[in-house]
Amino acid sequence: MRLFLRRVRSVAAKEYKHILRDPFTLVVALVLPLIFVGMFGFVIDLDYKHMRLYVRDNDQTSVSRRFLQEVSSSGYFDQTPLHGPAQADEALQKNNTPAVLIIKPGFGRHVKAGDISDPGQAQLLTDGTDNVQASIIQIYMRGIIEATNALFLPEGGEGASARIRTRFLFNPELSSRWFIVPALSTVIIGLLAIMLTALTVAKEWENGSMELLLSTPVRPAEIVLGKLIPYFLLALFDVLVVFVLALTVFRIPFEGSFLLYMLACAVYVTGALALGLVISVVTRQQQAAIQFAFAVGLLPSFIFSGFIFPIENMPLFFRWFTALFPQRWFLLISRTLFLSEAGFAPLAPAFWGIGLFAVVMIVLAVFKFKTDVEP
Amino acid sequence: MPALGVRVEDLSKTLGRTAALRGVNTVFEAGLVHGIVGPNGAGKTTLMRVLTGLLHPTKGRVEYYDEAGPVTPARAKYETGYFPQEPSLYPDLSCREHLEFFRDLYGLSEADYQPRMQELFDATGMSAFKERPAGKLSGGMYKKLGLMCVLLNRPRLLLLDEPTVGVDPVSRQELWELVYGFAGQNTTVVLSTSYMDEAQRCAKVHVLDGGFLKAAGTPEELMRKFQVKQFADIFLKP
Repeated sequence: MRLFLRRVRSVAAKEYKHILRDPFTLVVALVLPLIFVGMFGFVIDLDYKHMRLYVRDNDQTSVSRRFLQEVSSSGYFDQTPLHGPAQADEALQKNNTPAVLIIKPGFGRHVKAGDISDPGQAQLLTDGTDNVQASIIQIYMRGIIEATNALFLPEGGEGASARIRTRFLFNPELSSRWFIVPALSTVIIGLLAIMLTALTVAKEWENGSMELLLSTPVRPAEIVLGKLIPYFLLALFDVLVVFVLALTVFRIPFEGSFLLYMLACAVYVTGALALGLVISVVTRQQQAAIQFAFAVGLLPSFIFSGFIFPIENMPLFFRWFTALFPQRWFLLISRTLFLSEAGFAPLAPAFWGIGLFAVVMIVLAVFKFKTDVEP
Repeated sequence: MPALGVRVEDLSKTLGRTAALRGVNTVFEAGLVHGIVGPNGAGKTTLMRVLTGLLHPTKGRVEYYDEAGPVTPARAKYETGYFPQEPSLYPDLSCREHLEFFRDLYGLSEADYQPRMQELFDATGMSAFKERPAGKLSGGMYKKLGLMCVLLNRPRLLLLDEPTVGVDPVSRQELWELVYGFAGQNTTVVLSTSYMDEAQRCAKVHVLDGGFLKAAGTPEELMRKFQVKQFADIFLKP
């Protein structure tokens, strides 16, 4: 056991020296997280604001004007007056606007009457080629109409009891940045960790040092663990960089347990590093390893993690399929711990998910590690 | 510890579609300097790798033995030092860091390591280059460092694959002196070479061609067998 630990420490020390002396590894480890966080954090913004809205007010009453004032002050729309029906068609066809709002005559009178069976009417035409945006415009407009109704509702009028007051817990403004940045750690740390180790064994095969190494009594488990340790520390440093950027630059709150978050990061990073080693051990070539690492690190992070596409909306097979990817589980842990005060219990299945993956990958890396130079 | 000998019986090795070794039978007696000689593609590197345990025979057997009897392959691997033909050191690690790394891989104690390291640095004349990275060493010094790494463990079997390729004549001479200095009762040396003058300096030469062992014996025996006056001419005979 002492010899085992000594060899592990020795391989780790050697890797540590390689890292410090190799500018490429240092750039990947230290600069790439900053670029990724900046790129994703600033560029990916799912909040729709200041959308152009063509408006024609055929009512021209104080109520319709107040309604349009509410539309403007919401911040979601920038209004452009419309001078005829032909202009509305042209604007939509030429993609000049995602939506057109036409207020019908009698709108103010009906709103003031507060009769649910005979409400004021306005027509909203939306560009259905972007169905996400069209749905969001519809939701925003519904909220504005509700607010306008509330302003003109007569004392004790109908509908008052049926109104729903919605409050969004954990993310009151439904800011997409609050939603995205905690998930970014999943993508960035996962991808970086896989890339860091994907090269390490392949490089030894390519520069010939593996042949010399394999002729010594060192064993696969000692090489695998020795190679994991320094990259593990490096990846944990990246975790902290992303965490600090999330809190300071993007002003994301962190409500959960920091220790629990770091524990999850440690397990997740170990699995990703071990996956990189498996890729490296199997491919034995740096170019193939880096291509594999990119594909394996990036695709599941975006497609099967729930980062962008909700897992609940996937067909049953894919919902189960996503369970194979640690990104899905870590993303759940990261979002939950950033935005809520949840403890370990509700996250236990997710911890099992990333823990099991890490163990399987380490075992696979050890067993796939060849102790000979057979082709 | 006495030197290790190796007995190779009916050894064949196929790599992909290529038959690299075909039914090789020979003995590497303990304590001697053996040369494996042959043109490029003769199967020298494949034979070295099989002797190291880095390739497994497709057919036939490799047996290790010492004065006390057979030695298991696992034990033999621990007792064997192998330096490949291709560059295989870490360019960014210094000579000292290389030796420390191999010290830990072989599990040598500090009491064993310190005098051995000094002995190797003195023997190779590399003391002044302890802190120089391997990538900045000359061809000869690079080979010497490789030799130092594998000699650190006092191997009972030392396998060197074309150790003098790409090395200037002076360094070649120094490498040979080193190899002879460490060979003896406690170490068997097996080295492959394409240079006939180097092969002639070995106690026993194993001639490979096209994966076949054409002959094995002392240089004088081989000259008689091939009926040539110069050892270098044995490949000229059909």
